[in-house]
Amino acid sequence: MGEIQKGLFSVIEKLKGTTEQELRIVLLGLDNAGKTTLLKKLASEDVNMITPTQGFNIKSVTFHGMKLNVWDIGGQRKIRPFWKKYLENTDLLIYVIDSADKKRFEETGLELSELIDEENLKGVPLLIFANKQDLTTASTASEITEGLNLHTYRDREWQIQACSAISGEGVQDGMNWISNNIVKKKK
Amino acid sequence: MAEDSEWVVESIAGYLGSPEWLIPLTDFIENKCSVFDDEEENKLSYTEIHQQYKQLVEKLLENYMQEVGISEQQFLDACSSPFAKSKTLQALFQPVLATNDFQLFRSLMVQKNVELQLQALRVIKERNGALPECLTDGTDVMSELEQQEMQILQEVLKRSKEEYEEEIARREHVAPKVGSTSASLGEEPVRNGTGPQAAAHTPAQPINSLGKKEDKVISERSSDSASPKASDNCSTETRTLPAVRVPVKGPAPPPMSREKTANQAAESWLEEARKEAGISKPFRELTVAQQEELQQRAEYLRQQRDKLQALKKEQKGKSVAVEETPSPTPTPAPATQEISVEEKKKLQKRKHLAEKLKEEVIKK
Repeated sequence: MGEIQKGLFSVIEKLKGTTEQELRIVLLGLDNAGKTTLLKKLASEDVNMITPTQGFNIKSVTFHGMKLNVWDIGGQRKIRPFWKKYLENTDLLIYVIDSADKKRFEETGLELSELIDEENLKGVPLLIFANKQDLTTASTASEITEGLNLHTYRDREWQIQACSAISGEGVQDGMNWISNNIVKKKK
Repeated sequence: MAEDSEWVVESIAGYLGSPEWLIPLTDFIENKCSVFDDEEENKLSYTEIHQQYKQLVEKLLENYMQEVGISEQQFLDACSSPFAKSKTLQALFQPVLATNDFQLFRSLMVQKNVELQLQALRVIKERNGALPECLTDGTDVMSELEQQEMQILQEVLKRSKEEYEEEIARREHVAPKVGSTSASLGEEPVRNGTGPQAAAHTPAQPINSLGKKEDKVISERSSDSASPKASDNCSTETRTLPAVRVPVKGPAPPPMSREKTANQAAESWLEEARKEAGISKPFRELTVAQQEELQQRAEYLRQQRDKLQALKKEQKGKSVAVEETPSPTPTPAPATQEISVEEKKKLQKRKHLAEKLKEEVIKK
């Protein structure tokens, strides 16, 4: 039944009256990495009252004439098994890392490498935000690149961007990368 | 080819307005919508329900397309034809689009949930004459409710006072000699007099501390309304009160218990009033006990809603049964209506159906 259904889906997709291009972006990372803060920052919302996400948040942001549907899914250990339910038809994976949480670099690296192997994310571009650069103890983006062996990722485009979701520093640079590498290609 | 896609669109649009489509879909939405609230964050369970919804819509559409003999390509052509982009058709297609658009799906579910809750409230209202205050929300209603509450409160206080005075009068008859027991009881009337007032305050205070303006009104009102009465009590009771205190000290407990029941009644009413007032506060501002109450009420509401659903289901079942008897083949029915409008389409559709039938007959 799978094939017929997929066919029907593509039909339904075309039913949409809008001509606007859409991108599906999934925002993942360990708990307390700053995913929801980043999401709210992207949507220009207040980032002060953010609590740990138990489910998921969605925001649609228009960016360079494209509609970005960003899905932020809770990162707590007990929720992580649900991540793979949200990966279908993803155009971009944004992975957020708490750069100051050195103790969990290994854990976050492991989660990332498992994600990369997911069938649904095959070849999907990856943007890593090395978040919390506003903290003095934060590792730099290049340190994280080393630690996570990002250089071994050769099956897709990837980028690591240092940022502070709270102050917004670096976020725009990451978005520009998205614009240059994904939005333009999609068009 | 354009004509071809036109009848496909019409046929599908007809199906999307038919009970074959609407009943299972509405059933699904009504059964599953209760977990959908309008919190910003989505629950993981929404995704599961969305998946089930997709499957249902696909199954229904596919069955129909197979039945009528519309191929996917035809469907695709039809959907991209300008004819399909009209507003009325777009509205019909909403539930289909929701399979691919989580946000749209979510808004459908949230909307249905709110609708059902409102319906449940209406049913409760019809059944009980008035809506229990605990189930209303919003400030405009609240002020009315507050007034009602205060009336009830005053009534209760009045009655408990009457009972109390009656009791005193009776006591006085029975034991008049103790009336002069002592001067030390001089304070007592005051304390007794403030009794009801204190009772009125206790529930009002916590509400007040929750920091909403209306609540201040409540507490003010309650003290306003209670205190004149309390002072009434004082004046009328100065004579009688010494007699009252006697049984407390004395060996006869019945008046005491009588007094107690009256007080208890008042307290339970007050408790009730407090609960009802409590519902209008933002959830996190409530105490644990109040949250529990709120949850209980939510549960009650849910139950009412479930009943409503069951009722609806029954009705639906009936209406289907009724419909089925006069027209054993409901699908062509709406089609026939459209046909009378345009001859061409009618012919095409008939031809198509005939072919389909022939095919089936021959196959069998």
